[in-house]
Amino acid sequence: MIRLQNVSKNYGGRPALTNISLHIALGEFAFLVGPSGAGKSTLMRLLYREEMPTSGNVFIGGVNLNRLHKKQIPLLRRRLGIVFQDYKLLPRQTVFANVAYVLRALGVNEKDVDKRVNSALCVVNLDDKGEAYPDELSGGEQQRVGIARAIVNGPPVLLADEPTGNLDPATSLEIVQLLERISERGTTVLISTHDQPIVNAMRKRVISLRNGEIIADVDSGVYEVGSTG
Amino acid sequence: MRILLRVLVETLIGLKQGGWSNWLVVSILAIALTIFGGVLQLTITLKSVVAAWGSQLEISAYLKDSYDPKVVAHDVSLLPEVQFVEIVPKETAWKELQSAFKVASLANPLPNTLHIKVSSTEAVQQVAMQVKNLPSVENVRYPLKVAQRINEFRHFLELAGFAVTAALTAATLTVIGNTIHLVIQSRHREIEILSLMGVSPSYIRSPLILQGATYGAISGLLSMAVLWGLHAYLDPYLSEQLIGFAPMLTHSLEHSLAQTFVALLILGVAVGASGAFWTSGRYIKI
Ligand SMILES: Nc1ncnc2c1ncn2[C@@H]1O[C@H](COP(=O)(O)OP(=O)(O)O)[C@@H](O)[C@H]1O
Ligand SMILES: [Mg+2]
Repeated sequence: MIRLQNVSKNYGGRPALTNISLHIALGEFAFLVGPSGAGKSTLMRLLYREEMPTSGNVFIGGVNLNRLHKKQIPLLRRRLGIVFQDYKLLPRQTVFANVAYVLRALGVNEKDVDKRVNSALCVVNLDDKGEAYPDELSGGEQQRVGIARAIVNGPPVLLADEPTGNLDPATSLEIVQLLERISERGTTVLISTHDQPIVNAMRKRVISLRNGEIIADVDSGVYEVGSTG
Repeated sequence: MRILLRVLVETLIGLKQGGWSNWLVVSILAIALTIFGGVLQLTITLKSVVAAWGSQLEISAYLKDSYDPKVVAHDVSLLPEVQFVEIVPKETAWKELQSAFKVASLANPLPNTLHIKVSSTEAVQQVAMQVKNLPSVENVRYPLKVAQRINEFRHFLELAGFAVTAALTAATLTVIGNTIHLVIQSRHREIEILSLMGVSPSYIRSPLILQGATYGAISGLLSMAVLWGLHAYLDPYLSEQLIGFAPMLTHSLEHSLAQTFVALLILGVAVGASGAFWTSGRYIKI
């Protein structure tokens, strides 16, 4: 589902990612771990085509993102669910409107919007908070709104860049377990994090980045502080 | 339909965020459009005046008092291309003038006048020169000459008017650009989110472009109101002056006013929308 071939990314000559090759299969659940500055966000941005690699190829569902025309970028992003560390919710809109926004912008009729938004809010256990505004919610709840928004379009791939970065350990675990439940429904999930206990609790595939290089990639792995600094 | 409604709501929010710069945009654009429309209307008027007037094949010759108008008229009628000569004795002219305006009774200052009808427009100038060179003739006046003057003035007016319009339009584009940029900045976060969610840039930009078009429409309407006011104020006076020699003219001017209004609205909307289109394209990238 996600494939990187010899991908490097430089910022003004300084390498952020060096020669990354990677494959994540359909329905897989994987962690991308590494200390701050390792290149996790850069890799994520390549996947949703916020950035282009300096060299190498990035494929999502067999589509080479280098060959993607500018006009097709929105189409790619509608097939990805993206979750952010800072939630990126629209503060002037209710929870329901936040989740509904893209559907409405695509001209989906209000009846279907209703159905799909309510079902997404159910998945994240916020079906009673539709009329609330983001600033009335806790951090964990806001992130669950972010996740509901990411899955409302039924994307085959869900990318989450440090989704628990602003949350306490208990809430973080809830969020990651929620993402695991979503992956069990067939969605490919990639989560970047430097949250060691969470990764170790899940026993999933762990891809370790350090200074822009993959230093380990193990199934049912743990995030070893020794190997990532 | 639903999308249209959302775009409209976003446009209203944008207008709210525009704040005082809305008025700046609208007033500058309205001034530009008013000047443009005014110049357009004036040149159209002058053009029709010239057309109606310049095609008249008549020369007025003012005679020196010491010559007998009948003799001069006869001499003139012998010139080639002259079809017809009418004598207007100074007494007749003076009486007409006195009945038209309440002039104090003084000694008649008017000369005897000949109205010379010529066979073609090309001949007007030539005959006029010949008549003017007669010793009995003090001066000649013919519409073509006045028409040429008016034409020169019209060309100047067109040039100056459109230069001013162009300058003001450029200023308007800058101000619209700044206003739209302001709205984009205040919605920076929202736009980033929408773009990451896969909302197409054209959807994100459309309320902004509509906002620019709204400025254009409002400015167009304002400039129409101003021009309509001017027209209503000047019209009675103008028609009275014009109707004497070109009865069809006032009617055709009403017609051209309507056309000018349509042009103003289209131009206003085009300037507003394209300013917003350009700025939003520049600042909203995926
Ligand atoms: N937009 C950018 N411009 C320049 N350098 C950047 C940019 N984004 C990231 N970097 C650099 O790339 C490296 C990797 O950053 P990042 O991908 O954000 O790491 P992580 O998300 O793992 O903390 C860092 O050295 C960072 O300074
Ligand atoms: Mg990061």
